[in-house]
Amino acid sequence: MKRSFSPAPITLLVVACVALLAAGPLVLPPFYVRVGQLMLYSAGLGLAWGILGGFAGYASFGHAAFIGVGAFAAGLAENSFPTLSPLWLLPLGLLAGGGTCAILSAAVAYPILRLRGTFFAIAMLGVSHVCAELTNNVDFFQGSLGLNFPPIAPSAMEPADFFYWLYLAAGLIVLLIAWQIRRSRFGAGLLSIREDEDTARMLGVPTERYKRLAFVVSAVLTGLLGVLYAHSLGYITTDSVYRDDTNLSLIVYSLLGGMGTLFGPVIGAFLLVFITQVILARLLDFHLFATGLLLVLLVLMAPGGVLGLVRSLRPRRADIAPAE
Amino acid sequence: MTLILQTVADGLVLGGIYALAAVGFSLIFGVLHVINLSHGVLVLLGAYLALVLSGALHIDPLLTLPLVMVVLFGVGYVYQRFLIQRTVGGTPLGSMLLTFGIALMLQNVMIWVFSPDMKNITPTYAFESFKVAGLTFDAVRVSALAASLVLLSWLALLLKFSSLGRLIRATAQQTLAAQLCGVNVRHVYALTFAVSAAFAGAAGIVIGVILPFSPADEALWTLNAFVVVVLGGVGSPAGALLGGLLLGIVNTLTAQYVGPSFPNVTMFLMLVILLLVRPHGLLGNAFSASR
Amino acid sequence: MNTAAILQVEGLSKSFRGLKAISGVSFAIAPGSITSIIGPNGAGKSTLFNLITGYLAPTAGAVRFKDRPITGMATNRIAELGIARAFQIARPFRDLSVRENVRIGALFGKAGVRDVEATTRRGMELASLMPLADRPASALTVGQLRHLEVARAIATRADLLLADEPCAGLNPTETAAMIDVLRQVRSSGVTVLLVEHDMPSVMEVSDRLLVLDAGTLIADGPPHEVAKDPKVIAAYLGTPEVLS
Repeated sequence: MKRSFSPAPITLLVVACVALLAAGPLVLPPFYVRVGQLMLYSAGLGLAWGILGGFAGYASFGHAAFIGVGAFAAGLAENSFPTLSPLWLLPLGLLAGGGTCAILSAAVAYPILRLRGTFFAIAMLGVSHVCAELTNNVDFFQGSLGLNFPPIAPSAMEPADFFYWLYLAAGLIVLLIAWQIRRSRFGAGLLSIREDEDTARMLGVPTERYKRLAFVVSAVLTGLLGVLYAHSLGYITTDSVYRDDTNLSLIVYSLLGGMGTLFGPVIGAFLLVFITQVILARLLDFHLFATGLLLVLLVLMAPGGVLGLVRSLRPRRADIAPAE
Repeated sequence: MTLILQTVADGLVLGGIYALAAVGFSLIFGVLHVINLSHGVLVLLGAYLALVLSGALHIDPLLTLPLVMVVLFGVGYVYQRFLIQRTVGGTPLGSMLLTFGIALMLQNVMIWVFSPDMKNITPTYAFESFKVAGLTFDAVRVSALAASLVLLSWLALLLKFSSLGRLIRATAQQTLAAQLCGVNVRHVYALTFAVSAAFAGAAGIVIGVILPFSPADEALWTLNAFVVVVLGGVGSPAGALLGGLLLGIVNTLTAQYVGPSFPNVTMFLMLVILLLVRPHGLLGNAFSASR
Repeated sequence: MNTAAILQVEGLSKSFRGLKAISGVSFAIAPGSITSIIGPNGAGKSTLFNLITGYLAPTAGAVRFKDRPITGMATNRIAELGIARAFQIARPFRDLSVRENVRIGALFGKAGVRDVEATTRRGMELASLMPLADRPASALTVGQLRHLEVARAIATRADLLLADEPCAGLNPTETAAMIDVLRQVRSSGVTVLLVEHDMPSVMEVSDRLLVLDAGTLIADGPPHEVAKDPKVIAAYLGTPEVLS
């Protein structure tokens, strides 16, 4: 599809949004700052998922695995160096979390990417649950006991504000990476894999290599975000990071915003978090029902998500009969 | 020695129940090529219905089977005909997400109506047990197993010898040809789903009698069904039985010899490995098109 | 053996459990020409194509591309060497535009990332697809999709295009357009080998005809000669149209 909008105005729009978002903690009450954190974190996760699920078409139902692996690897690493100054803790955690996700995903990629469609989705769900169960039942991981994360926010700043800006920066980085991928040869290859993997391979696209790369990049970015999340919570157990509703949400962000697009996951994440945290804030009992209903309506009526609806509302170009 | 035999026996009893809980899911996967992520919720629906009915009518929960199956048959038919049918033939992700959405909605409804607490359906012979050849068997579990085996056999006979069964098999094997022969495929799909839902509900009663249940269990029963199908084979009661028995034994052996909290790990590990190695199960797809 | 030939097939045979689908077929294709393989149904034309492109491994014989043995090589390796295939059942990237489809061919084709935009444009021009460049592939007609197959194949900078019944199921206008495209492909320097049933088009556009019957090559030469060959006429049970 031809890009619906040309790049320059979009860049301006993005910069304006980022500036607006950055001003958030300065003007919003604490509750909304926390909602903002969740929005930015979710957007980052959605973008990371989308590199594999949206661009390449390999929709994983188990990406929470990497949030958990990243978080616990970071926690275990950081707790092994209790005397380290807070300035070094986060980088250490990111290194440990990102590195572990890289190794795990690289190893799992070979077998699991031989599956397609539903089998791939469910296998990833299985992987997520295996990681969760092992974390919970093997003492070394301290999943049931829980892990503490030392505070890392500078004393001059409100922790909520600090993490808000941290998520904003992280989200921006993930967005830039996703954007770069999409306009590169790698990205074009991923799109062709999504459309028709066998034909893509016949045209010379190195499908296996590209799939594995997308898988690892997606996993590592997710894991790094998981490390940030764990720090913002301060204390995690298995159930705080290995969550089935996260597994589902990652897909819904793309579905809601526009599967396979660059900004779709961002739009979807912002919308869904807004709906569940703000609109339904007082109706906690309604959350599952509302998410479920949204999912049903999306699948039946708007499978292209928000961006799909926008695209279909634009006036059609007059059809020119081609000279044959 | 007796410990191993007891563990295996326990596993077989459990496995028979797993088989019943999975057969509906297997049928849908084989015939409609839909992964019904709301399967677990239908199972729980059966359990809650039995709880209500046995309490209101003061009868043994297993006696509510016919009524619950009829209700779920109707629910299943309507559900498929008006909702799931819209995603049949589309991307596999579509039907998965739709059924997942319905599962979330129904789970929430169950929490509203029944509360999120664990519930149990206790029959009158709840605490009795008996011994056979030195192995102990719990009366409730054995009667649950008996019910499962009867129902599974009935389904197998239905599929093989009844005209409905023939319609279902024909539609599953060669859909277009069936249509050309005048089969109303939508109706057959809806009937298949109705049968599947009825059996899911029956399984719910059987499960409710032996284990405590709550709305949050729905995901586990769906995944359980998936593993059974991937183990034993798609689309046939025999495959479900084989897969169920194997899963049951693996479950009890793991709990006994590795640790009580490890059966789930083993189940998920098996799922991933099986998907990689033999996704259509030991008995394969019962409806693979004849060539 | 013509050493300047771009494609050489030597003694190629394929048996499927005792059924000889192809027996001892040999020919050489000159670069920059259009060669058509014709023959009655069941003659083995598709099998021959599959043997050349690596979908099937031959029971005996050899295939050489630019004097390099490619017998039994993996399909994507053969694609990398410069042989492209356009299929009868087109497989476009449906959600991508025509331009983006062709661009995939250019990006991942033989020579890599040089001049991607120019190569994409050339592919679309040769296939007469420029007016449709930004249409999504899902909006194209069958005939246009065949053009897209060719465009995408050309964009891989292939030297040899294998076209599998490109005119099958097309009406006369679409067929003529397709034949024009093949002519344009030839004039750009790409060699074309095609399998086709549409006799008038084949006679008009081919430099050479190879006639296959029951797995063996029964005629090999320019169209006007082959048309008069009694063996060919007999194979087709004497269809008079061939003689025009």
